Amino acid sequence: MLVKLQKKTLVKIQLIGYILTLFIGVFIVLTTLQLYQDVKPLISEQTDVFSDKSAVISKEVSVFKSVNKDRIYFSSEEIEELRDQPFIKDVSIFNNADFRIKAYSKQSENIPLFQTDLFFESIPDAYIDVKTEDWIWKENDEVVPIIIPENYLKLYNFGFAESQGLPVLSKNTISQITFNLKVSGNFSSEVFKSRIVGFSNKINSILVPETFLEYTNSKFGRSKKSRISRLLVTFNNPTDERILQFFNENNYSINKDKLEFSKLSFFFNSALVFVIAVALIILVLSIAFILLSFNLIIQKNKAMISNLGAIGYSYKSISKFYQVVISAATIIAIFPAIILGVYVRNLYLDKIEALFEFSEERSYIVIFGISILAVLCIVYSIVILKKIKAIVMPQRY
Amino acid sequence: MQIRLSNLKPTYMSEAELSASDIYLQKEVVFEKGKKYLIKANSGHGKSSVLNFIYGSNYNYTGKVDYSSKEDSIFNLRKTEISYVFQDFKLFPSLTLFENIQLKNKLTHYKSSGQIEELIEKMQLTHRRDSLVGTLSLGQRQRVAIIRALCQPFNFLLLDEPFSHLDSSNIKIIVDILNKELEERQASVIITALDNLPFIEFDKTINL
Repeated sequence: MLVKLQKKTLVKIQLIGYILTLFIGVFIVLTTLQLYQDVKPLISEQTDVFSDKSAVISKEVSVFKSVNKDRIYFSSEEIEELRDQPFIKDVSIFNNADFRIKAYSKQSENIPLFQTDLFFESIPDAYIDVKTEDWIWKENDEVVPIIIPENYLKLYNFGFAESQGLPVLSKNTISQITFNLKVSGNFSSEVFKSRIVGFSNKINSILVPETFLEYTNSKFGRSKKSRISRLLVTFNNPTDERILQFFNENNYSINKDKLEFSKLSFFFNSALVFVIAVALIILVLSIAFILLSFNLIIQKNKAMISNLGAIGYSYKSISKFYQVVISAATIIAIFPAIILGVYVRNLYLDKIEALFEFSEERSYIVIFGISILAVLCIVYSIVILKKIKAIVMPQRY
Repeated sequence: MQIRLSNLKPTYMSEAELSASDIYLQKEVVFEKGKKYLIKANSGHGKSSVLNFIYGSNYNYTGKVDYSSKEDSIFNLRKTEISYVFQDFKLFPSLTLFENIQLKNKLTHYKSSGQIEELIEKMQLTHRRDSLVGTLSLGQRQRVAIIRALCQPFNFLLLDEPFSHLDSSNIKIIVDILNKELEERQASVIITALDNLPFIEFDKTINL
């Protein structure tokens, strides 16, 4: 009888509206949070795909700087400033060769005749992505190991060799070739043998061991001044938005490919945050809406509720019906939202797993969804109980 | 069970208004079990107030209302110790006559459906049993409210101007029913009225 009486006070369309909006809000919140959780390792450093955390930076070359070259070098203050940035883990310096280098082959050797000017740079071994036993040079060693960018080989094979009618070379073949290096400067010169021992994906330069560069720079270097024009920086998190901002402000040029992903992840994160924010607004509005709706129902039926109290019904038993209805509506909204969330997650996981090497993260959809449900039911029950108690219990004024 | 009122005074009435009262501002007024009390006063003297203070539905008084009862919750007191026929009936217009009575009886399970039907018949309301209370006349509603009040155990029955909308033949019927029910329960009745009620023998008449 009590139920029959109270059932008449409900506004069905409001309940349905609440269920729909809550369903949409909870579904989007759960799914996007889980998506973020799942994709986070992909956009940060943990997986192989984006493991590259370092990039080479230099200053932008402009018309003015091309005349006064001093301005393309990094001062020690600037390097310190870089080191102090929270998103930068480490900065290492490129040493460059301050002398002339000629690479050439002799008629007698079993390779095509060539002669070319070269430049060398070196960085600490720890930053080199090529691991080889040959990467070592001591004074009096005859052969100087060299690492060139893998791109150069591609450029040669698919561009230069094609147009010049030269044979294409595999990495292995190249590593077999020994050629001559003539280092000259400071009115003296010396000839070394040299061999390419590896190809770097990370460093866009021609590298020799640091020891070699120290030796030759001291012997053939024209100036004793250190001229640092390129730096290798390692980031804590290459997706950090501040990286691009900082480099743009300081007019540093960065190997943009490396940070294209940073941009991408910035947009992805922003989009996700936006979607979550909108979903949270929907969620909050739906909660506010149903609270308002029940408040109206209770106020509209104040006389009925107070009469029920007057004939002996306790405020707890009067509240029970509304508590059950609002909890049931919340369950009706949230359970399908959880199920749909889990289903959508499986859909996108299939897609991601097909595209990337990806280890599945834990799913928080169910536990989080049920937590929302529990919190809402408890909050609603308390609010309703308080409102009805205020009507049923006599007031002092 | 006894109801003991001491130094009772509605906060919304002045002492001057209450100076002639036999209840308000009296050191002690006791309502004992098994007796019939009439509280008589003109309108505006706080007749309904005194019943509401006793029933616990209005706390705006100074002084004390004491029940000497084991029940501590006001809702349990209303279910087992005190029944009240309100002046404004407090019926639910969207329910039928029978459903209104059942709403109370579902809470107490005091009377069987048969007993309820019998009371409805005695009150000459059988033909309106399934009509919505909203469609009943004031006199009919008054009788429904009285039947409803009887659907529970009580030691005290409070009636607030219960006969104001009834003719003498109906009053007679109700008085007979009330006497029978009171005797069954060995309960007291406290009735408020504007004037004397000659068809009931009161143990005590109190001027408010």
